[in-house]
Amino acid sequence: GPEAVDGLQRLHLSVAATKYPRKLDGKFVEQLQTVLCSPKSPEQIQVLCAAILREMSPCNDLVLSCDEIQDTKLLSLVSSVLLAQGSRGEVAAVGQRVVQGLERRLPEGQSARFLLPVLANVISLSPGSLTEEQTNVVSKKLADWLRYASIQQGMAQPSGGFFSSPRTKQPAPITEVDGAVATDFFTVLSVAQHYTQDQWLNVQAFSMLRNWLLCYGGKEQSPMDSSEGNSGTPLVPVPATPGRLLPPRERLRDKAFAYCQRLVEQSTRRPLKKEDGDLQKACLIEAVTIMDIICKQDSSYVCRAVSCLKILHSRICGDATYARALLPIAQLFLNHSKQAAVDSDAIYKHLFSDIPALLFHNPSLAFEFVQFCKDNSQLFTDSSSIFRQSFPNLFKFLAWNSPALISEFVDLLPFLLDPGTATEIFHLLLDLPCLTAALDIQLRAAALPVSEKAGADPAGKPATCLEAFHHPLYRSMFQYLLRSRAAPEDAPDSLVPLRQLLGSLAGSPRVVQCAETVPVLLELFFRVVAEFADGSLINQLVVLLLQRSDQLYDIPAFKEDVVLGSNLAMLCGLRPALVVELSTEILEFSGAVSNIQSKEAIFTHMAWAVGEFLSVSHDKRCTVEQITRFFETLEAVLFEITQLRPQASTPSCAPRAISVLMATLTKLAARSQDLIPRVSMFLSKMRTFVQSPAVTSVYCEEDLEEILIRATELMNLLKMPSVAQFVFTPPVASTRFQKEVNDSLPLALRMVTQLLEPAAGSMPV
Amino acid sequence: MVRAFVLLAPGGPAPCRVLYARTFGTPPGAGPGGPRQRLRRKEQLLVVARQVASQCQLLQASLGRPSSPQLPQLPDEPVSLQDAPGGVFQMSPGDPFPERVTVVWLSVLALAFALVCEPQENLSLAEITLRRLAPRLLLSLRLLGPGADVLLRPDAADGLLDRLLPHGQMLFLNERFLQAVDRELGLKVSR
Repeated sequence: GPEAVDGLQRLHLSVAATKYPRKLDGKFVEQLQTVLCSPKSPEQIQVLCAAILREMSPCNDLVLSCDEIQDTKLLSLVSSVLLAQGSRGEVAAVGQRVVQGLERRLPEGQSARFLLPVLANVISLSPGSLTEEQTNVVSKKLADWLRYASIQQGMAQPSGGFFSSPRTKQPAPITEVDGAVATDFFTVLSVAQHYTQDQWLNVQAFSMLRNWLLCYGGKEQSPMDSSEGNSGTPLVPVPATPGRLLPPRERLRDKAFAYCQRLVEQSTRRPLKKEDGDLQKACLIEAVTIMDIICKQDSSYVCRAVSCLKILHSRICGDATYARALLPIAQLFLNHSKQAAVDSDAIYKHLFSDIPALLFHNPSLAFEFVQFCKDNSQLFTDSSSIFRQSFPNLFKFLAWNSPALISEFVDLLPFLLDPGTATEIFHLLLDLPCLTAALDIQLRAAALPVSEKAGADPAGKPATCLEAFHHPLYRSMFQYLLRSRAAPEDAPDSLVPLRQLLGSLAGSPRVVQCAETVPVLLELFFRVVAEFADGSLINQLVVLLLQRSDQLYDIPAFKEDVVLGSNLAMLCGLRPALVVELSTEILEFSGAVSNIQSKEAIFTHMAWAVGEFLSVSHDKRCTVEQITRFFETLEAVLFEITQLRPQASTPSCAPRAISVLMATLTKLAARSQDLIPRVSMFLSKMRTFVQSPAVTSVYCEEDLEEILIRATELMNLLKMPSVAQFVFTPPVASTRFQKEVNDSLPLALRMVTQLLEPAAGSMPV
Repeated sequence: MVRAFVLLAPGGPAPCRVLYARTFGTPPGAGPGGPRQRLRRKEQLLVVARQVASQCQLLQASLGRPSSPQLPQLPDEPVSLQDAPGGVFQMSPGDPFPERVTVVWLSVLALAFALVCEPQENLSLAEITLRRLAPRLLLSLRLLGPGADVLLRPDAADGLLDRLLPHGQMLFLNERFLQAVDRELGLKVSR
């Protein structure tokens, strides 16, 4: 009664609500199983018992078995409990029982319809559960159900009663989704008012067809079948003699292919019910995928498949609603067109050049497209190919759908990077949030009525981003940002005006979400590029880094998160000689005092790199003049920021920058000892600096203490010039030991200080 | 095949809650047996739910919608799925399932529905399946009304899944077949 239902529901809740084990009395569990299997139990109670038993799986007290059950619905229910146990033996037993049920004639009123999903689950959990003989039985039935389902509509279930009309109406033929009377065999896209049992089986059979073919459709026994240790009959190939049916595997393939061809034809009809349109597209995708599998298993189908799909492609390539189907079509061509000697370049070109630009905003397509790229990553290794050249288009998917696609792009990015694309991708990554904003405007501009698209006065300045889209001042910049193909030579001199214009969109959630993905991608970018970059590319990237450091889209936190500084240091470490080769650019950057405030991280890392690498031991071309020039430039900056009475125009900066500058100057002086007196005098003035009242109000006490300690250490080191020279210019660290020496520089400094000031430990006064 | 179906409340400020979850069979030999297997299953589903909730909230934000939408006034008001936000993402091997899975999700009002699919599954069909499950679950579990009905009626949810997603098998049902299923279930779904 209802109390039983209520009780079981509450029991289910209490078992399901916690993830920790709940012990149910063994006898009770046995009772649940008995009730489940008893023919007298109402369906609702059976469902609840099964739900509880599943919830408790794996279950030690299970005595359930499907052997005795004749009712197919109950068999399906009991199987759901057995398959939840995670036991290979149970799965195999269920598989055997289901195949048995399919083989024999079922008792009156029972339908095989409920058995097929169980079978599908069995082979998905444990593919080797069936013997060769059993798979042949099932393959044969599947082929029959796919091809020979009734082509007349079923009858409504009789409402029963003594007075129902004895004369039944003539059954009507099935129709297509567009209402036309069907002239060919029944498929999932066939329409009827009521369906017969074998038509249901047709639907079930197609629904599981792909997995069945993947598992058991191949010519050879898959290794898994024989390792299962089931009582499998040894493989005996059945030759096809004339007048005899094809062997079951080949026959299924034949019927399946015909079914898919029929679906391809049916899927471009205009459906009477709009919702059937979605199913048509899903069927199309499935049909093409199955054709691909069949072609892999038997290459004699390739020609038919290719010609069928070429026609299909020309019919749907202009229709954006069919775009997702273009991917399996392209995949089939990629897999087999060589064999069919067919030129499929037009298909790939349309796919990569047109589709992303049109449909970047469709999240499902975006996901599937990127998956396609990942599945076919070998296509991207050829740098001249349409695939590789289309990377700007691919990034549109990421720019618009950042949270969902970032992890896919982390996998994909390494395949897009090579010496030819590195700099363009570097710019693209830094401008990715800009791209998001531009795509937003592109969408809004496309949605405008034609009258408004005429555009504003070209002579004046555009008032809104939307007006700017067509404005001559900005049009070419938009076009460049929204390009479909790689175009390193076409880069406009500067996108700065466009970035400024798009500033009004910098706070939009989609743009912000995109900006959050950039740091991860940049880190990955540098890691990958470091592996293949040659000297010239590294130099190029360093120059670009310095240039772009203040040409970033103005999103709060974006500028901080984008850690260009540490990557700059990494590049310098990879190729120390660049400090000499790019001395002009670096001097210009380091000499601009404003940089220390606006681009502090990069400035600090750059200063550190100069101190580390500007030496003869890293590059023989390093001259005394160069060292002096760098020294004077950095000394001027340090002087500017350590004034005793800072003016309003004096830039403020983190104490770390001061420390690094002091250390760098010291290092340079150690290499060109004429400079030592200048540095020592400077360092000795640091005491006055940290004690000046104007300064103590700006920096905190610990920071000032640190600066002073550092200055003292460096000064002491310079009192022993030869030691300083050794410490600061060790031989290029080519062994691990030497690298450790470099890393222990602060320690070395402290040791030297202690040697010189035995009473250290007390604060220097 | 679909490995699991999850019905969750994504929360907004509140943490996400799994209201109903159903796995379709346990792969044999995939891990520890006994109670640890159950624990693992529960935790895997919770990880999926949390990821769905996070993607849902991010998508709502980027669409400019409030993250905790209001329930409609009348519980029987037909719910339009036209603009229901949804998405698809992948979870890497080991995190949390041993092999890669693809998760397709749909958000309706304050709830989310998710299918955990094997890789290479037909995602178009998965989306269709979700769009059919959602209104029927809302209807038969009276999810829009007050009370935590769904927790107390696993049989209703199971019954629906047994017809539209039996053993995790997605079905290519055209509209007429779907009507037949609704008749069998005794559901009156507005069309």
